[in-house]
Amino acid sequence: MRTWWAKVARALGRRRNLANELEQEMDAHLQFLTDENVERGMEPEEARAAARREFGNMTRVRERSYQSWQFPTIESLFQDVRYAARGIWKARVFSLIVILTLAVGIGANTAIFSAMYAVLLKPLPFPSGERLVWFGESSAKASGISVTWLNFDHWRKENHSFERMAGFEKADFTLTGHGPAVLTRAGVVTNEFFGLTGSRPILGRLFTASDDEPQSAATVVVSNAFWSKTLSADPQIIGKTITLNGSSYIVVGVLARDPRFWVQPIDYYLPLRPSAAQASRRDAHGGMHVLALLKPGVTLAQARGDLDTLMQRLAEADPGPEDDHRVFAEFLTEQRTGDVKHVFALLMTSVCLVLILACANIGGLLLIRMTTRAREIAIRTAIGAGRSRLARLLVTETVLISLVGGGLGILMAGFGLRAIELLGPPDIPRLSEASLNLPVLIFATGLTLAVALVCSLVPVLSSGKVNLFILLKESSTGAGASRIGHVLRGGLVISEIAVAVVLLFTSGILLRSLWAAETVNPGFEPGHLLALELQLPPLPYKSEGSILDFYRRLEASLRTQPGVESVGAVNCPPAAGDCNDWWYSLVERPTLSRDDVPLTLLNIADAEYFRTVRIPLIAGRALSDDDAAGRPAVAVINEEIARTWWKDPRSALGQHIKVGGPYMKGPVVEIVGVAADVHQYGLDISPAPEIYFPPAQRVDGAMVVMIRTTGNPESMIATVRQTLISIDGNVPIQSLRTADAWLGSTLVQRRFTTLLLVLFAGIAVILAGIGCYGVFNYWVSCRRQEIAIRMALGAGTIAILRRTGRQAARLGAIGLAAGLAGSWGASRWLKSLVFGVSTHDPVVYCSAALAAFLIVLVSASVPLWRATQIDPIETLHEA
Amino acid sequence: MSTVENLPNDDKLEMLQGALEVLILRSLKLEANHAYGISQFLQQQSDSEFLVDNGSLYPALQRLLQREWISAKWKTSPNGRRARYYSLTAAGRKQLVKATSKWERFALAMAKILEAEG
Repeated sequence: MRTWWAKVARALGRRRNLANELEQEMDAHLQFLTDENVERGMEPEEARAAARREFGNMTRVRERSYQSWQFPTIESLFQDVRYAARGIWKARVFSLIVILTLAVGIGANTAIFSAMYAVLLKPLPFPSGERLVWFGESSAKASGISVTWLNFDHWRKENHSFERMAGFEKADFTLTGHGPAVLTRAGVVTNEFFGLTGSRPILGRLFTASDDEPQSAATVVVSNAFWSKTLSADPQIIGKTITLNGSSYIVVGVLARDPRFWVQPIDYYLPLRPSAAQASRRDAHGGMHVLALLKPGVTLAQARGDLDTLMQRLAEADPGPEDDHRVFAEFLTEQRTGDVKHVFALLMTSVCLVLILACANIGGLLLIRMTTRAREIAIRTAIGAGRSRLARLLVTETVLISLVGGGLGILMAGFGLRAIELLGPPDIPRLSEASLNLPVLIFATGLTLAVALVCSLVPVLSSGKVNLFILLKESSTGAGASRIGHVLRGGLVISEIAVAVVLLFTSGILLRSLWAAETVNPGFEPGHLLALELQLPPLPYKSEGSILDFYRRLEASLRTQPGVESVGAVNCPPAAGDCNDWWYSLVERPTLSRDDVPLTLLNIADAEYFRTVRIPLIAGRALSDDDAAGRPAVAVINEEIARTWWKDPRSALGQHIKVGGPYMKGPVVEIVGVAADVHQYGLDISPAPEIYFPPAQRVDGAMVVMIRTTGNPESMIATVRQTLISIDGNVPIQSLRTADAWLGSTLVQRRFTTLLLVLFAGIAVILAGIGCYGVFNYWVSCRRQEIAIRMALGAGTIAILRRTGRQAARLGAIGLAAGLAGSWGASRWLKSLVFGVSTHDPVVYCSAALAAFLIVLVSASVPLWRATQIDPIETLHEA
Repeated sequence: MSTVENLPNDDKLEMLQGALEVLILRSLKLEANHAYGISQFLQQQSDSEFLVDNGSLYPALQRLLQREWISAKWKTSPNGRRARYYSLTAAGRKQLVKATSKWERFALAMAKILEAEG
């Protein structure tokens, strides 16, 4: 400590004194030596000179003594940094290119990493989130289907593997009594849910076991946001009631913070209670899934086995139609991110490739710079700079420039994140939480340092090859022209072209897929079409008659509005996803075994729907108003089903479908028509089997009213809203938008992924171009004399071009071959993202190859042109 | 890096790491001395086996000063020259005892190995 302080004191103020003292001391030393020499009989002059010789190098004594007064590492570091900064400033263009290249590479990596961190890596915001398990049931046909109440009840009471288990589902309710009727989102949960998600109340209490009892009073726990926005943060809210779907619920608590268990924000939580049927029958499914906390030390497989044994026992004790059902369990983290994992894997890989390209570029640039600096370094070595000191200098310079680039990169990542926030698909969980937080900054810093070290190896390694004598004697061709430098630079060109080709190929495939998805025939005409999504509240729409009457009146009223061409309603519009699916079988066909019963989407369409959205009928008739309750049960099937069972869709007419298949209850309906396919799961997913029922024979309060307009559909939105209010102002609008917007939103994620990859490929092309240009340019510089001699001996422009171009062409060809091979390998990864094209699409391969050819051509053209412009006489004089 | 160090050093012994500092402490054990005197002392005591390089001696003295094992004072020498005299501090004496036993053990161990038979 004291020595340290002494150092500080010396470093701060007393160094001058120390230096003076040292001078005097050395002076005294010389005096002693001189005195002795005089005693030996030398002349004073001669004695003094001899003393100096004997003493040795005084400057070195000074330097090394000074070092012992300094903080050697820190001070010489400052010195190095100062020197490096000067070096960077001296080569401004070079430095700017390096810094920008790095900023792009590190910025892109940091942005994608922070998105990936938020979505995939960041621990779930629940206590022991890594032990949370998500449960569904699985059958031979499907996995992850909902869990019935009785099964859940047995699981939670008889399992040996879990600390706690909660049932949960999501439901929409209409809130009235607080301004206009609004649709609100409820989390319907058993009381353990709050403990599992680590939720706490700021007012009142959370649910207890008594809230789960069916006969208890209806209670509700509201979220903080709902409380402060809709309930105006009423501090006396506990004990008051809110009206949901016409029934009152007593507010018993306010959450301190929403656990964010669902992607969309939840307004409030209701206790999950079984219906009478669910409490008595083991196959009465609702929408419930199960969340459970694994005991420490128990593996997921063990827990699964535990519950499966339970299910087997239940099948024996309480046999039913679902005896083959087993549990389906996944860690919650898996369940959350399974779909987007491969997207992020792809993005992260591409962005890493971009970074590698950036590194290669910087390495190449440094290599070239080293050769131009070779003389400088040779001189430094000659006047006494040691190898390690030189290396330190070069490393400091590279590290400094990398840090600047990395800092700028982090800044760019910040902007990138803003862009991701604005453009990113809303259905990726937690993407909006991406930020430049500590782990991300650590990642970025680590990345920067890694890049800095890797890049600084290049100049150090090549400086090791510097040969003093050759360098000082020769001029421009020197260390860099050595064999190793040559191979390194060739490798750079090859790898840059290869990486660019892979990224071009990947983005090309995705671009083609996006194009295919955007231009796919959706099966109907989305232009001039408005979609009004409604869900009738159970009160007053209790009876089937009242629901049918509401939609009849609404549609009739809409049809009278000017600008409306036709109106039809459907339960599940195209691209809305899986609204409902179930088993089916054909009555006229042999009975299938339990495992072979096929699934189909179930939909409801009224008389005008097909005409309004213009889904062509391939055979038979559309549904009509005459297909009322009590009339013969009929349905329209889609082409997909028809083609599965009959060669000619017309043969399907008059045949019968048993809904639910041979083993489930369900009506038998007659096929009266076959409609063309629509992309029910989204534009980029192929059509699935689908059955349309007439509304009167399968009543549902949730319908989407499709309105074909003569003019711009957006201008009709206000009219539609007005018409709805005139029929019933208490019906909340779930959504009201054009069919185009509806369809497009199914492609948001694809567009986003494609956009990013195209961006990365673009960056890759630019980087590869710059890198190749640098290398080619350097070659020509190195060969000026050789070329001049050839010219002097009579070589024409063509001959020069051929000679110098051959090398570029050869490296380009090798790079292209490597790139195409890499693309072939990469295409396996892409399979799940490809739509409408082959993963080995020849057009994309050719385009990528062409692009690579252009990169080489463009980047080589200027250097080659320079080669032809060499003036042999002048150049040879230089030498 | 430097000219002196890299010159072929005849067959003078090279100083082991840390040895010079111990020898300086030893040279100051009986009386204070200046830098020239110290180098003379070491050269004579080692029968000129050690040739002390000023480029090493001066920084070593600085290091010892910083550790407060020696102190420095300007005095007039017997022949009338002013010189900077170094002397051992209490800490320096302790350090000398410690280092002496360490180096003796080191030398003994070296000798045992080098002179071992077979």
